[in-house]
Amino acid sequence: MNRSTRRILGNAASYVILLGAAFMALFPLFWTISTSIKTRNDTFVLPPRFLDFEPTAKNYIAIFDTRGFGQIYLNTIFITVASTLLCVLVSTLAAYSLARSPRFRSRRPLEVGLILVRAIPAIVIMVPLFTITSKLGVYDNHFALILMYAAVNVPFAVWLMTSFIEQVPITLEQSAAVDGAGRWQILWFVVLPLILPGMAATTIFVALLAWNEFLIPVMLAGSSAKTLPVFISGFISARNLDWGPMAAASSLAILPIAILTVLAQRWLISGLSSGAIKG
Amino acid sequence: MKARGSIEKSVARLAEGLVAPAWVLILLIFALPILGAAWLSFRNETLGGFVPPKFIGTDNYAAAFADPRFWESIRTTIWLTVLGLVVQMPIGIALALILERNLRGTRLFRTILIIPMLLTPVAVGLMWRFMFDVDLGVINWALSLIGVDGPNWLGARWPAIWAVVIVDSWQSIPFIMLIVLAGLAGLPKGPQEAATIDGANAFQVFCYVTLPALGPVILVTLMIRIIDSLKMFDLIFIITTRGGPGTATQTLGMLIYNTGFGFFQTSRASALGILMVLMVLPVYWLWRRAAHRGQG
Repeated sequence: MNRSTRRILGNAASYVILLGAAFMALFPLFWTISTSIKTRNDTFVLPPRFLDFEPTAKNYIAIFDTRGFGQIYLNTIFITVASTLLCVLVSTLAAYSLARSPRFRSRRPLEVGLILVRAIPAIVIMVPLFTITSKLGVYDNHFALILMYAAVNVPFAVWLMTSFIEQVPITLEQSAAVDGAGRWQILWFVVLPLILPGMAATTIFVALLAWNEFLIPVMLAGSSAKTLPVFISGFISARNLDWGPMAAASSLAILPIAILTVLAQRWLISGLSSGAIKG
Repeated sequence: MKARGSIEKSVARLAEGLVAPAWVLILLIFALPILGAAWLSFRNETLGGFVPPKFIGTDNYAAAFADPRFWESIRTTIWLTVLGLVVQMPIGIALALILERNLRGTRLFRTILIIPMLLTPVAVGLMWRFMFDVDLGVINWALSLIGVDGPNWLGARWPAIWAVVIVDSWQSIPFIMLIVLAGLAGLPKGPQEAATIDGANAFQVFCYVTLPALGPVILVTLMIRIIDSLKMFDLIFIITTRGGPGTATQTLGMLIYNTGFGFFQTSRASALGILMVLMVLPVYWLWRRAAHRGQG
């Protein structure tokens, strides 16, 4: 077997594996969406109906008819947006210190703290947080949830932003200082424009994590601050699993993400590759 | 007016102020509750209990160690972690190596392959649960096509553990793939080419050249995956309805949830939480070492 035959065989094998992997990656997504537009009869049938069924909007109508569903969707969007903005702001400031100042007093403790926040399972803090929020009267409170969402994602966002800020040459800041620019002017007019793409990537990530967050709201949100993942999880307590509406609710959670992934894949991958190493 | 190097000085002054908001969040949302958990763990608080709460020393810890469910939950956690790593690491590394060949269409495949890791775990868990259904699930139907009688996935301990491992792997393999891919991109091509010229085949090049060079990256990936396996919550909550059947897939995290929010034993759950922190600390220490080697 000569070299080029082996190359062709190798490429063919690679494509077979990639196609198999792509099928595995996409099938559950396809199955969720197709189940969400099937009638009950088409859902509970063997062999399964992959494409030969009459699509229906019934499941989505049932979801939107659920009392409070609009509120739940809006809650999820509001908490996601607000906590993401807070998290990215706080993390960018901290990341600037970590990237530019090799030694300040709380540097070491902060590094240790960030790793601990990332490493310790959040379930550990949930019981005391439940007690604390109940005592303070902020159980089921949007703003308490926003603070918690932001906090759990701070380590990831700080590591991501630190690596982005480190890529900005410090000489740019130095020459601006030589030209007489003040500290805040440098941050605003020199640093900020250069790290905006990094901030965008970080924002997308943190927003994804916040959108998907389940542990915090399932324990600390009641009926008024309930989010989409908590709503979806409610389907498992029903004795008869209602697969159609459940798939519709799931689709409403994951479709925005799938679309975002395709649209923002460049940023996502650069962010994942540089930041995920640490977080 | 300002000399070179003054940037560092003025930043040092600013630095403490800039990290202050991050400190506030970490202390308020993490440090304070962990101290709270430590305090609660030495008392006998319950939610809505009738017994006046008081200090009871280490009784909650003694109760945990005496409880077979505690040890079972630790075994389950370890099994899920180990099986997950055994499944995920080879597949993730293999996919990264294939993407690294940069064949036509690689970017499209890369985009498709990262989708699972970004999707809402709760929704993912529910959908897989439907696919695992013993009678109407598409997985057992597919198995029946090749003459295999699929197990009652969520009805017995080991099939249920495998079901969780499969879904966790589905979501985690893309992460491993991406990190290894980034690691591969950072490797110099020279040694691999030299080995090929010297007559090594692709498998030998991988085993003796690429894999050792990737060592630090793989180590960091391993640490992150271990930490995330210990944290796994959403998938188990959904796929096996909080650790079922019975307590078959009840991890330590799930046991804390069930103790604190199922049985309202606040102090018991807090003691379990403190034990979990103590178990995570060695992993944290390994991570720091791995990160140091990764930088070197």
